[in-house]
Amino acid sequence: MIKTARVASVFALLVVLFLAGTAFAQTDPGVQSGNRGTGATIISPANDPNGFIAFFQDGLVRFQELENVSNAANVGLGPRFNSNQCSSCHSQPAIGGSGPAVNPQFAFAGSPVAPDNTTPYFITANGPTREARFPFFFNANGTANTSAANGGVEDLFTVTGRSDAGSCSLTQPSFAAAEAANNIIFRIPTPVFGAGLIENLDDSTLLKNQATNLNNRFGIAGAFNRNGNDGTITRFGWKAQNKSLHIFAGEAYNVEMGISNELFTQDRPLPGEDQQSTGLPANCLNLGGKGYPEDTSNPTSTPNAAVLDDVSAFANFMRFLAPPPTGGVVLNGSSVSAASIATGSSLFSAIGCATCHNPTPGTTQVSNFVPALSNAPVNAFSDIEVHHMGTGLADNVSQGAAGGDQFRTAPLWGLGQRIFLLHDGRTTNLITAIQDHASHGSEATTVEENFFDLNSTQQQEVLDFLRSL
Amino acid sequence: MRTRFLCSLLILTLFASLVSWGQAVKPQSIPQNGGDFSDNLQPVTKVPTGVILVKGAWSSASDSVTPLPEGGSVTNNVFINRYFGMSYTLPSDWTEKYKGPPPSESGRYVLAQLRPADTFKGSDRGSILITAQDMFFTPLPGTNALELINYTKDNLQADYTVEMPPTQTKIADRSFTFFAYWSPVARLHWYVLATQTRCHVVQIVLTSRDTKLLERLIFDVNKMKLPAEDSLTASTGGAVPVCIKDYATDKNVIERVDPIFTEHRFNSVPVRIIINKEGEVKHIHFLSAFPDQAKAITDALLQWKFRRYLSNGQPAEVETGIMFGRALLPTTATAASATTQ
Repeated sequence: MIKTARVASVFALLVVLFLAGTAFAQTDPGVQSGNRGTGATIISPANDPNGFIAFFQDGLVRFQELENVSNAANVGLGPRFNSNQCSSCHSQPAIGGSGPAVNPQFAFAGSPVAPDNTTPYFITANGPTREARFPFFFNANGTANTSAANGGVEDLFTVTGRSDAGSCSLTQPSFAAAEAANNIIFRIPTPVFGAGLIENLDDSTLLKNQATNLNNRFGIAGAFNRNGNDGTITRFGWKAQNKSLHIFAGEAYNVEMGISNELFTQDRPLPGEDQQSTGLPANCLNLGGKGYPEDTSNPTSTPNAAVLDDVSAFANFMRFLAPPPTGGVVLNGSSVSAASIATGSSLFSAIGCATCHNPTPGTTQVSNFVPALSNAPVNAFSDIEVHHMGTGLADNVSQGAAGGDQFRTAPLWGLGQRIFLLHDGRTTNLITAIQDHASHGSEATTVEENFFDLNSTQQQEVLDFLRSL
Repeated sequence: MRTRFLCSLLILTLFASLVSWGQAVKPQSIPQNGGDFSDNLQPVTKVPTGVILVKGAWSSASDSVTPLPEGGSVTNNVFINRYFGMSYTLPSDWTEKYKGPPPSESGRYVLAQLRPADTFKGSDRGSILITAQDMFFTPLPGTNALELINYTKDNLQADYTVEMPPTQTKIADRSFTFFAYWSPVARLHWYVLATQTRCHVVQIVLTSRDTKLLERLIFDVNKMKLPAEDSLTASTGGAVPVCIKDYATDKNVIERVDPIFTEHRFNSVPVRIIINKEGEVKHIHFLSAFPDQAKAITDALLQWKFRRYLSNGQPAEVETGIMFGRALLPTTATAASATTQ
């Protein structure tokens, strides 16, 4: 009896300690499920003198179209691809976002989409939608040649076995061998809400921000990626490698879906096929049967928006997507107070996060598209610079002037409703994402230390604030 | 003779049959190794984890002997930086968990970032950040530590409150500017100590919620070894060149050869050079450059000839900076001349 009582008291003590620990430990509130109105257009119907709303709507429809290889309305898919629909990867929490909770890529292999394919080991039912890259080419003996940088996208699937792909037969890249050689990295889709505002920031605004931000005591510097043609600042993609939304759309159409277009005019072989001059086999070319590029303008179509090629329609859709609205935060079933979120915002700035994740890097130039893109604040929480992020996040892929450890400051607007975090979707937990900002060679190490120097309540307020974005 | 011939014939026959047997049971397939393909699931060597093998613009130097600002390290709990002649024994239970990023194109260095080790016993943690700003390339207004810290104070964000305005003090027998501010919301305090050496402003930034910890850290910093203020010799020995901003002008350059770049790039390439007593470039340090840029600029600079620099009538080595590529945008005003002379 005495023994039982002693056990019970010890148990009670443990429960109290556990509850106390729970009360003080900070927690990522997680993905906020409430409807914040994300995915609407930035264009006001009452102030659309050029009629661009119709172009936004047309782009939205095309963004969701399923692409086919041949003998259908939307042809040109493949011969290699990561997905067959823009919105399959850009759908969380609305069309134009990032990867969804249920990964559509997991269902492709063995289905009519990719019948004779196998699902790569890193694609899971509820994991992030991903593209894969091999940082280095393989040697003939199968080891990675670290003197031969690759870094191009290795499309996950091929059209092999599809009824609309004729005799084209291609092998999927050697993902298992790449994993064995530790020669594979991943990227997840970047959300494109508010992208038109980022596109319309003048270089001089960003440069002034850069100079001002150098006055920090966090060890942060930063640089801009620049366009190889005209030297201006590039801004889209994980390494800010793309200049404009047109380029962004054209590259994705070609690389992610294998659809040649007016910006990227050929079917794209894998980097190794290109390097070895083998290219794509003849029976895998022009699968759509209409020649190149597979996506063109449609001069005789009506209405006006239908004349555009798909890439231009996609660019318009992204350009006219409104930035994601902020919203309330629910933590463990209870609403977080606005005051707590406001404190979190102040803490975010005070400890140095806002040095790179600049809440408002500037105001847009006058837009020739729509008034909504003119003189508008860009609350992107990014300086659009690329920063050294250290060995922990480095992917050994160079894009433009960005090296293997440099990444664009990820815009945090919309973070409250994003599921997968960091460039490769390695975590769904904000705390892990913050921890991963610190490693050898990272500019963010001191700021990460500052975050963990806050007490638990303050850390929670920062996390709550982040999920309000 | 006949026996040897028969044996040879037998071996040849066996070899031929083996080859033909092999071909019969294993159909020839398209080679899969190379490029994007590999059949090897057990490679002998793997790409090392946690190593940056593909670099963008990065720091480099023409030799591996001359000390560099970014060349400091923590060994046996002592941070030593030979370039700045700095030696600092870390407080007990503190460590350098992560090394800093490479120098930036704006001349910003993270020399060391120190934090409490896992064995640290204090209730509130903190951090020690040691940085340097190359005053040849800074886009910030200011020519010395005091001006730079005053600029910091004048442009402090609304999140912060000044605790002590910039004040001159002595640390390790050297002039420092001390400045303290804090964030009321984060309850974090920043104690900033700044001094100038070799045309750099070196800042020691102490951060914590615990002001007593910060005071102890200041006390430790006071034990730091630094070269004497008016000395051109580093504490670790060896002559230190005179540093002069914008020395590489037509007035001082006798022979100039422009670099021939093979690729058109748009980055800034800040370069520090040391000119020997004969007026030749003896050392080149790229704060940030792509390898092809560094090669082209090195090939050119090694052909440059300077007027000999005289200090007190004697030839002396000069350290100066040259910006190749894109100029940096100054914050408000162009930094005036920085020099030890």
